[in-house]
Amino acid sequence: MKGRDVAIGMAAALLLLVVVVAVLLGGTAYTPSREIRPLAKFYLEYCINPFNKDWWAASPEAVTSMLWDYRGIDTYYETSVFFLAIISGVALFRIVEVKLGAEGKREEKGFGLSLIVKTSTRIVFPLILIVSVSVAFHGHLTPGGGFQAGSILAVSPLLLIAAFSRHYLENRLRLSEDKCLTLRSIGLILIVLVIALPLIAGAVALMQNQPKPWSPTSPFSAYVGPLWISGSLFFLNVAEFLAVGAGFTLLFLLLSISEEDFRRILGL
Amino acid sequence: MSIESLLQVYCYVALITIIAVSLYGIVRGHSLTKKLIALTIFGDTANALMIYVGYRFGEEVFVPVIPTLNPSPEDIAWFISAAVDPVPQCLVITAIVINMAITMFLAFLIIQAYRLYGTVAVKKIARLRG
Repeated sequence: MKGRDVAIGMAAALLLLVVVVAVLLGGTAYTPSREIRPLAKFYLEYCINPFNKDWWAASPEAVTSMLWDYRGIDTYYETSVFFLAIISGVALFRIVEVKLGAEGKREEKGFGLSLIVKTSTRIVFPLILIVSVSVAFHGHLTPGGGFQAGSILAVSPLLLIAAFSRHYLENRLRLSEDKCLTLRSIGLILIVLVIALPLIAGAVALMQNQPKPWSPTSPFSAYVGPLWISGSLFFLNVAEFLAVGAGFTLLFLLLSISEEDFRRILGL
Repeated sequence: MSIESLLQVYCYVALITIIAVSLYGIVRGHSLTKKLIALTIFGDTANALMIYVGYRFGEEVFVPVIPTLNPSPEDIAWFISAAVDPVPQCLVITAIVINMAITMFLAFLIIQAYRLYGTVAVKKIARLRG
């Protein structure tokens, strides 16, 4: 056992030494220095550039324009990974879904935390909802977007579960796993529609936002009337907001099934 | 040695140390829950490292969001000279959410293992038969 501990300590020291030497010799290239990479310069220059519209994404937010325009397919794959993680969670709890039906619906009075916590939760809950919607709808103009807004949205049911109970969500707010699954599927279908729409409208690339030199037609315009929507970025942000928010709410609902219900169903 | 390279070495060493410690926790942790905690520390540190790599030194450092919808060429030139690298931020946004989803999936698995076996100690689960 002692030899092993010594070996682990030596390995850690060696790792740190390698890192220090690499950083001192400049092995980290641009990181962090006064200059940024040429690739980052390209994105910063063209994300909103009214003088060269051949490459622009029509969004002042460089991160969102990269997330859903320049590297859009990448983000689509990441959404698929997220989708699979949630689906595997739901699959693990599949038995419960069937059997909880009658037993889980009982009304239970006197559940939850004290009156102070419940009242402050009632005040904070709508505020969280409004913040999440505003972050999603301004995702193409200000820092934020679908992923962040969805994560904020998922906090509000978690807060309700902690302060009241799972039964409060199910019986009073009528929020069930099926509704969350439906909302999440609507978000994912919207994403696929927005991705496929340019092909239907005559463009040559999937997920095309603004017209490009090799594909001059695009169904999305940078603004609608007085509203700046940055083409497809607005719709993708809202769809991702639905998918992420409903997906996490679903996971929180599954995690909060009470232990007694579980033991009864599993027969332990 | 300039103050910038000193800061670089300090940040890299701090972040790599946390990564090394969390890797040790993942490999040598006795309970599945502690392994999961070490895994989340590992993921968050990797994200922090990525964000750090995208930072830039300078007199004026700005977020990669241009504060106008009708920028002039001077605005764009200033933006390129002041904004931090947006590429790592783009990667980290998705990485955080996926990290959270995978953490919750692993938490599901650990809860299920505890319900079925009554323990989350790795060695005890390995000794179970049948």
